[in-house]
Amino acid sequence: MNVVYKHIIRFVVFAFLQALVFNQLNIGFGIHLMIQPLFIMLLPFELTVIPIMGIAFLMGLVIDIFSNTYGLNTSSLVLMAYLRPIVFKFYGPREGYDPLKEPTSQDMGSNWFTVVYGILLGLHTFWFFLLEIFEIGRLGFILQKTLLSGGLSFLLALLIQSFILNSKQKK
Amino acid sequence: MRNLIAFLQRFRIFLVFAVLQILALTWYVTYLSFPRNQFLTTNNNIAVQFLEWEHDLTKHFNLSKNNSQLQWENIYWRKRQPQFMYQLSRSKVKVNDTIYEQQYTYIPAEVINSSIDRSNNYFTLNVGTAQGIKRGMGVFCQQGVVGVIHYASKHYSLVKTVLTKDINIDVSIHMKKTDLPGLLKWDGVDARYGMITGINNDLRIKKWSKVETRGGSGIFPKGIPVGKVSHTEPIEGQALWKVEIRFAADYRRLQRVYVIKNLHLAEQTALEARIPEDE
Repeated sequence: MNVVYKHIIRFVVFAFLQALVFNQLNIGFGIHLMIQPLFIMLLPFELTVIPIMGIAFLMGLVIDIFSNTYGLNTSSLVLMAYLRPIVFKFYGPREGYDPLKEPTSQDMGSNWFTVVYGILLGLHTFWFFLLEIFEIGRLGFILQKTLLSGGLSFLLALLIQSFILNSKQKK
Repeated sequence: MRNLIAFLQRFRIFLVFAVLQILALTWYVTYLSFPRNQFLTTNNNIAVQFLEWEHDLTKHFNLSKNNSQLQWENIYWRKRQPQFMYQLSRSKVKVNDTIYEQQYTYIPAEVINSSIDRSNNYFTLNVGTAQGIKRGMGVFCQQGVVGVIHYASKHYSLVKTVLTKDINIDVSIHMKKTDLPGLLKWDGVDARYGMITGINNDLRIKKWSKVETRGGSGIFPKGIPVGKVSHTEPIEGQALWKVEIRFAADYRRLQRVYVIKNLHLAEQTALEARIPEDE
């Protein structure tokens, strides 16, 4: 399958899953499951940072429209897209990334994925709740929400990855 | 000039990042205070269509609970209908009552999209200006107050619920002798608990006293339940109570609501506009 089509389909699927399923789940304890960072994470290695930020902006816009958050998701996704190449460079192999590989736990190993996606998702979630609550005096509450939501979203991302991985092995 | 171009090229990535961030944050900050653009919310036609499909699927989850609630409400009103009552004195004639005049009318609506976990929660309703909805109308459900209409498009509207940070609904705490007026707020933590500000600490407040709307601003009629006082605490350095209340309504399962239309609102605002400005 063409890479471009694959990512367009992924964009639509991730946006709708987030808007129509995960946004509607009220788990309580301030937990907010977010899968759209995984979409930004899974974009190909060779894409430069400006197109990624553009895609992140669009993705955030769609999610914001569906969840009445007016730019919160957009802002945090653009931040994540901006930081993605920096974190990738820091944890990348010495000779650079293999353009044939994808930034998944299957291709790059689960250690690499855990560290890189953990950092990116953590920053994304922290920024999101920081903007949403916007009170330095309640930093503890922001951190609590970040840890709970980030942790569960990370597990969810692993689950979704295993689905993508399984469907690949069948082919 | 050449320096400038070189500078722009070096910081190209950061500039794009900054522009996108500014766009997103401007949107966030301006929309919270006043809605200008309906396209970028769930009120636009495309997004709301998908949400309606989603709602069509999931609305049956709470169906039996909602039905029994409606049934209880029906019984409640049926008990108060004169034609179902036993007539004690047969000789009485029916008099057309002119003492009471209808002041509020209600528009039934269904919540098709909601959230309770954010620090500002908005609900989407399936009624709009075509049904007579306007910005600023009150919304409540059978158990309690829900919020105020924030934006109305032709067939849908957005409710700023009591679960938003800058909501101000005038409420009063019912006590044995007096009613204490205050403002309802929310701190963004738990959808079950709200706060009331502006209560002087010269009176003791009993736990579990009822909190109801006060009906001063003409948005809500008097006496719509809000919740019950669950905790009071003195604020340091101020002569005020910090009052925590437990909401009467369960916003997590909210489905059917009523929008309040005050038939006297124009009269009230026209009258209040004549209050001379203090210079």
